[in-house]
Amino acid sequence: MSAVPHEQTARQMLSPGYIAALVLAVLLLAAGAVIFLGGIWLLALGGSFYYAVAGAGVLATGGLLMARSILAVWVYALTYVFTLIWALWEVGLDGWAQVPRLVGPTIVLALVLLCIPVLRSKRAEGRTQ
Amino acid sequence: MTFQSISKTCPMVLVGMTLALVSSVPSSIAQQLPQQPEGQSPGAVISEPVEDGAPSAAQAPLATAETGDAWPAYGGTYHGTRYSPLDQITTENVANLERVWEFRTGDLPPEDQDVAWSPETTPLKVGDDLFMCTPTNVMIAVDARTGREEWRYDPQVSYDAVPHAAACRGVAYFEVPNPEDPDALCANRVIEATLDARLIAVDARTGQPCPEFGRSGEVPLDEHLGRTVPGWVAVTSPPTIVRGIVVVGHQVNDNEALDAPSGVVRGYDAVTGELAWAWDLGQPDLEGEPPEGETYTRGTPNMWTTAAADEELGYVYLPLGNSAVDYYGSERSEAENAYATSLVAVDVTTGEDVWHFQTVYHDVWDYDLGSQPALVDFPTEDGTVPAIIVSSKQGDIYVLNRETGEPLFPVEERQVPGGGVEPDYLSPVQPFSTYHTLAFEPIEERDMWGMTPIDQLWCRIQFHLARYDGMYTPPTADQPYIQYPGYNGGQDWGSMAVDEERGIIVANYNDIPNYNRLLTREEVEEQGMLPITHPEGDEGDPQVGVPYGIEVNPGWRSDVTNLICKQPPYGGIRAIDLETGETIWDQPFGSARANGPFGIPSRLPFTIGTPNNGGPIVTAGGLIFIAATTDNLIRALDIETGEELWRDVLPAGGQAAPITFEQDGRQYLAMFAGGHGFMETPPGDYLWAWALPEE
Repeated sequence: MSAVPHEQTARQMLSPGYIAALVLAVLLLAAGAVIFLGGIWLLALGGSFYYAVAGAGVLATGGLLMARSILAVWVYALTYVFTLIWALWEVGLDGWAQVPRLVGPTIVLALVLLCIPVLRSKRAEGRTQ
Repeated sequence: MTFQSISKTCPMVLVGMTLALVSSVPSSIAQQLPQQPEGQSPGAVISEPVEDGAPSAAQAPLATAETGDAWPAYGGTYHGTRYSPLDQITTENVANLERVWEFRTGDLPPEDQDVAWSPETTPLKVGDDLFMCTPTNVMIAVDARTGREEWRYDPQVSYDAVPHAAACRGVAYFEVPNPEDPDALCANRVIEATLDARLIAVDARTGQPCPEFGRSGEVPLDEHLGRTVPGWVAVTSPPTIVRGIVVVGHQVNDNEALDAPSGVVRGYDAVTGELAWAWDLGQPDLEGEPPEGETYTRGTPNMWTTAAADEELGYVYLPLGNSAVDYYGSERSEAENAYATSLVAVDVTTGEDVWHFQTVYHDVWDYDLGSQPALVDFPTEDGTVPAIIVSSKQGDIYVLNRETGEPLFPVEERQVPGGGVEPDYLSPVQPFSTYHTLAFEPIEERDMWGMTPIDQLWCRIQFHLARYDGMYTPPTADQPYIQYPGYNGGQDWGSMAVDEERGIIVANYNDIPNYNRLLTREEVEEQGMLPITHPEGDEGDPQVGVPYGIEVNPGWRSDVTNLICKQPPYGGIRAIDLETGETIWDQPFGSARANGPFGIPSRLPFTIGTPNNGGPIVTAGGLIFIAATTDNLIRALDIETGEELWRDVLPAGGQAAPITFEQDGRQYLAMFAGGHGFMETPPGDYLWAWALPEE
């Protein structure tokens, strides 16, 4: 095969969208690590299991974004739905109580969705290689 | 049955017996109470009369001033109900209120040094003038019509004298009974006590010091307290004048050292400034000053807040704080254990206490009684009972017979957590009011808050790292502990308002925990905590003289965002049925507009329920006027529903109580906006007045 796909990849790698996705990936890896490790600590102290699970979800999302995998969207969507169910279970419709639980994760959801154009599905990966 | 007859027949009456004296109050609860710690009683303790040597400053009741045209005392009157019979401003027209004048005192925090600033000032209104003090005790008279300054008297208080913050909650007003010449200098006088511990009387018309009062208008308050340094002993609350006796307490900065200045409360002749009596709980037989070379009892609980009084009975009601060291109690005397954090009724004609009612046993939580009690004619099935209502930082509201101290509603003693560093000192039970409490259920992990899941998670981890077994969790050194409610209440110095006509109590309150830990002496040293007596100044709470210092995180602020770890609301306001103690309405109080993470105002106009300090007032017009919240607003609420009917944005924090008065047929609302260091609201020097537009 020719070098054309590689040239395309290089162009994509320099595109603002891809750089933004990478920045988000790094932020999510960092936040995910903090939430995951803090969540393990909390679990060890007898607290909620939510943070360990959600932290793992965010970490995975970050890793998959780094790999430009569309799976990042699915993993984060799952994490978000889990968050939503947990938040409603824990404090119901109390608006102020939902601020820490839902505001940040919802912003992250929007950002992850914005990454879709620069992410590759497995099938697409197969085609380019 | 009068108090005198009780005291003669049974000098030491415990509640089981006192309750039995009042047939309408069931005594079963008191009889079921668990074993009490030694020297404790679950209710009023009536004192043994001291037979010998009551000073004979006894005077007949004087005429008492009422609210209406005037606002003659800090709490409206010395009954402390903060009620005005004025009804020109009503629920119908309050929305039309407009600002009519502004007065600026000019007393603002200095720019060249760091001085904590929490004025907390409420003016008085008598005759045609408002009388107030500034945070450095400058007394000022302001024309009630125009807001123009009439006079000022500056006692030259040094910034060194400022205790936890520069504060002057108010002054007192006194008219000399039957003066030979009613126009003579100091026939009417304004009396204040200062941060640097002086009692000062000036002429109400001119502001000139009263030459016959003490030494050229001044009485020193720091004599015979033993060793002190500037800023340790300070008066921040207005005196209470009963039967011509000026009753003065003072704050003693707490948690500095076991060996601290005395908390003695004293009565002075309002005309001459002469000491009438000293109430020193370590020396009940002391009549006046201690003998040469001796001091009032060191380290005893003090009264830093405002007393209430019954002119007819001749009683002053002292809300006492805790001993000098708050968080460790094993060193305290029996008298301290019996009286600390009690409401104490003192007969001003003798200077002896007649009863006291303790709101915490063996307090190691800094649950000082902070609010001024309110005197009401309490409605019961058998007619009204002269009562006193007192609210605590724990949120309990007690109703007591003010002649005898007997609770009108059962006081239950409930088991509380034990352990901690002094398990033998702690009381296994604590009193709880069955009349009403402002306290909420214990907090849980799910109540932790933040901006994001990350800071919320950190608060959750802290929650589990701490010991917390609900209210009265004892102090611990090997791990942090949660104190909920924290030491800002519940109710603090802002106090309640009572509309006796409608039968409604109005109470604003805080709903915030503290996150604390006792520190070993090594840790105290490592952290660089220093007592106020140290030449390098006052750092932290070292509690010198006991095995531990104390680290307090008031409000349990996140070390990352500075937000409170508990979810909102942090404060509320509530109307309570006076007769039954049932809640009529209750709502979060204060918007998020001036608060946010990292101290950045969020501008969010939504009600969040902010921390609040400063009291409400209530009027016959069916209104509550109150500022207090950290959103720098003053509001008018409908007392029946809590609905907000009017608001104005203050030019500084409104951590004080407003007043209302009438001048030339027009009802005014006035409020001093001075800000508050602890509440982190902007400082100011503004006295504002509002009224309805003139037709």
